[in-house]
Amino acid sequence: MNEVIKYYQEPKLNKPDLVAAWPGIGSIGIIALNSLRELLEAEAFAEIEPWRFSYPHALSIKDGELQSLQFPESKFYFKKTATRDLLLFIGGEQPTDVMKGYEMANLVLEVALNLGCQRVYTAAAAVAPIHHSVRPRVWAVPNRRDLLAEVRSYHNTVLMGDIEGRSSQGTITGLNGLLLGVARERGLPGICLLGEIPVYIAQFPVPYPKASKSILEVLAANLGLTINLSKLDEQAQEVEQNIERLYHLIPEEIRQRIDQLKHVSNINEEKSGTITEEDEKRIMQQVEEFFKKGGKQD
Amino acid sequence: MSQGHTFKIYETPRLQTPCLVVGWNQDVGGLGSKSLEFLIKKLNAREFAKINPAGFFSLSGVPVEENVIQFPQSKFYFCAENDLLIFHSNGPGQSHYEFLTMLLDVAGQTCTVKEIYTIGGIISLMAHTSPRRVSSVVNNRQLKQPMAEYGVNTNLEYETPIGARPTLSSLLLWLAQKRNIIGANLWVDVPFYLAALEDPRACKQVLSILDRRFNLGLNFAELEQQTEQQNRLIAVLKEQESDVHRYITMLERGIMISEKESEALANKVAEFLQKRA
Repeated sequence: MNEVIKYYQEPKLNKPDLVAAWPGIGSIGIIALNSLRELLEAEAFAEIEPWRFSYPHALSIKDGELQSLQFPESKFYFKKTATRDLLLFIGGEQPTDVMKGYEMANLVLEVALNLGCQRVYTAAAAVAPIHHSVRPRVWAVPNRRDLLAEVRSYHNTVLMGDIEGRSSQGTITGLNGLLLGVARERGLPGICLLGEIPVYIAQFPVPYPKASKSILEVLAANLGLTINLSKLDEQAQEVEQNIERLYHLIPEEIRQRIDQLKHVSNINEEKSGTITEEDEKRIMQQVEEFFKKGGKQD
Repeated sequence: MSQGHTFKIYETPRLQTPCLVVGWNQDVGGLGSKSLEFLIKKLNAREFAKINPAGFFSLSGVPVEENVIQFPQSKFYFCAENDLLIFHSNGPGQSHYEFLTMLLDVAGQTCTVKEIYTIGGIISLMAHTSPRRVSSVVNNRQLKQPMAEYGVNTNLEYETPIGARPTLSSLLLWLAQKRNIIGANLWVDVPFYLAALEDPRACKQVLSILDRRFNLGLNFAELEQQTEQQNRLIAVLKEQESDVHRYITMLERGIMISEKESEALANKVAEFLQKRA
């Protein structure tokens, strides 16, 4: 066993699929994974010793004595469901050092492959020119060409190249993408599921559970899981109410521009409502300036 | 070590079971660098090893400070007479765990380290005329009593506030604990308006504890003179600037000053002392 992995138990699983996520924009992947873990009541079985990958985030001193240092936790969970066995990996933090990220990706796959893993999914965010009132789609990016046909059949899902104004090329930053690159290198098929987050919200440190829900809907259908996502709906509603409150503080002119995004949620819709890249930049600048001024109009 | 992390040992010092003293450059009040430079000079400590910067520091360029190019250094010194090891370094910008592990490995390759002490400053809302209090954080209860005997505050309570993160010295103390090396972080109060400068009085305070702990027989006249000189200069500034006089008097009386006033005081003291440095 690798000394960087600490096992609590070694589950016996039958060809499990791995679903993994690290923190990122809108906490979309992490919220999806934590919800899945809770809904399935998945059991923790191992963790990656954090000290090589993360700086501690908290210290506790009591009566002049060093009590503990707390590091971000990166844990593995498992669940045997009626349809298939599942492995979950929830990363506490993305290593800032690229080489350490690569090392961590290999460690995660090592654990998964030792348990007979057949396929990998990761969950993350896709920053998109959409409005917060629309249902976020899921951008699905497989790590093998032969998965394209399957991915096209998923509900509420698009391929990168099918998104208006985009080509089929791009970059998935961070470990949620890197893991699938390493999986490809090791011959393991995988799909990255990116839930859409409005471009004007992505820059703020707010969660976006609505996109997590979209990802979980795709995952549940694909893995044959029956899960109740009402709790995620409640979270999404709460976040949306907060966004709405802020939205109505924004000057009318900016709001009108953002409102145009309501019409770009579907690849097959008419082009009349679309906005240009220039419009998108202007909206971002205006929103940014607005919040820099503490949310006050001139 | 991975990622090109290397070190170099020039000579193997003959030591029994030494204690290791660690300080960092760019510390509050120049505590780490000034105290260790003093210690190295007074004890005639000899450099015997270094950790190479590649993989720990950004080498994409060099910083310039006060018109001079800087370069990160991480050097080990020893003093056989006092059975003491000293590690004086810049804080690494990356691979902190590997850096501190290497620090303990290099020290451990040459001898068995008995105890480890780190030196650091804490920014405090106090006047420069107030005594400097030293607090300790230990990784083993057995060190509390000796620290208390040197007048150190050994009852510190602390939880990392949101947005902050533990210091490198705390991480080192924790790693030492994992290797069963007992140790303490020594933290000295530094008046906030001396934080970006040097605080010789705070240096003397923390060094006097090491002096007693290791029977070093240090002569602090140099630091005392520097303190007197600094106090004289601040007194001149107080006479020239009524605001500075008022703020320092308020601090001496235990009255809080506003953030704006604190900033003004720190700027005026820094400007005045740096011009006369």
